[in-house]
Amino acid sequence: MPTFTEVAKATKKKREIKLVGVDMYIITEKGTPKFDDIGAFKCEFISNRGTKVWPGFVSPDLLQVNWYRCRFMATKDVQDADINAFLDALTKKGWWWSAAQKLWTYDGEPGFSKAY
Amino acid sequence: MGKQHVITMLPGEGTGPEICEAVRLVIDASGVDIKWEYEDIGLDCLEKYGTLLPDKTIQNIAKNKVALKGPTTTPIGTGHKSANVTLRKVFDLYANVRPAKLIPVLKRPWDKIDIINFRENTEDSYAAIEHMVSDEVAQCLKVITWPGSYRIADFAFKWAKANGRKKIYCVHKANIMKMTDGLFLDAFREVAKQHPDIESGDIIVDNCCMQLVRNPAQFDCLVLPNLYGDILTDLCAGLVGGLGFAPGANVGDGCAIFEAVHGSAPKYAGMKKVNPSAVLISGIMMLRWLKEEAAAARIEKAMFAVLDERKHVTYDVGGTAKTDEYAQAIVDKMHAKA
Repeated sequence: MPTFTEVAKATKKKREIKLVGVDMYIITEKGTPKFDDIGAFKCEFISNRGTKVWPGFVSPDLLQVNWYRCRFMATKDVQDADINAFLDALTKKGWWWSAAQKLWTYDGEPGFSKAY
Repeated sequence: MGKQHVITMLPGEGTGPEICEAVRLVIDASGVDIKWEYEDIGLDCLEKYGTLLPDKTIQNIAKNKVALKGPTTTPIGTGHKSANVTLRKVFDLYANVRPAKLIPVLKRPWDKIDIINFRENTEDSYAAIEHMVSDEVAQCLKVITWPGSYRIADFAFKWAKANGRKKIYCVHKANIMKMTDGLFLDAFREVAKQHPDIESGDIIVDNCCMQLVRNPAQFDCLVLPNLYGDILTDLCAGLVGGLGFAPGANVGDGCAIFEAVHGSAPKYAGMKKVNPSAVLISGIMMLRWLKEEAAAARIEKAMFAVLDERKHVTYDVGGTAKTDEYAQAIVDKMHAKA
């Protein structure tokens, strides 16, 4: 007899997972970071406390802390090894980061939120 | 007449436009000099601009610094970002001020409720940082920062002092979320040290909910992180008579947007059926923000008188008046008292 966990898991439809980018959480005291393309990754937006601070309109009154979420999207098909190389390159450029979160699509739907 | 104020009017969608017209009728009749600049927001913008909050609207609010907003609807589970949350984020409207005060004519089981909630409006689980971290696990980051927590506490103490309030409690769950809610509570305590003339304390959020429904009169001002604030402000609105009378203000250092917190009730759109009181009371808050106390007090007194008479009130409070008839009755009452 299957366990409850097995029954619950069986109800979840398997979806095709594809790696499409990485969210980098970067700590800096120098304001909004600026990035050139790094390998197969291009910076799409940067947010601070969940509010987009690049590109586009930023209120001059916006409170910002020293922790930025920087979304890098792949410009071609990538594998986990490309993320490893990207992290190495980013670190060598002197960026101090607290965490990285891989971004996947599930059956083509993004498994990640946009910034406000 | 005194100084002219230029205000952005955001009628919203559904019943929003008819509510905002009724509110404008009342505010314009109060003796205050306002130039209204209308801008679009909400679902109706999607077809025209491809977004719920067009850039043109953002630019107008940035220019005028003050806006009055009607209700909007946020689509559930689609990719469109909430116009309300976007406004708060873009203008860093970090303080959501939600008074909950008994309105005499609405029969409630309590003798006194007069609470001001100060909800932190930009952080917590609302930072829009969500990921499917595997195909069966979703994760949302709860972001609490020291400066974000410090400034909402600072705002609350200063507001309390300016308005003669005596007691502020911080609502939290720091016994479980020791880092995030712990930081929020630490910042509150740091600010409280600077205001020894105001009684301060803290209360765990679940206990606060129970105490609110058992004995709401014990509370004066509450400072809350975003998620608890979202929930408890509606709880407080329910205590005093529902969202139909619940005003709100979203305030930042450079901008303030006043709005009701109820939805746009699209099924009633065009029927002039709904009660505009929540937006009107938000408008009264706006007038006080603009230092137009006389006009604010005039509207408030007339509104209470109309509600008390029950001759020209909307269906939700037992009447048959249309939205604009209720507004006109308030205008007539103001003129009769003049």
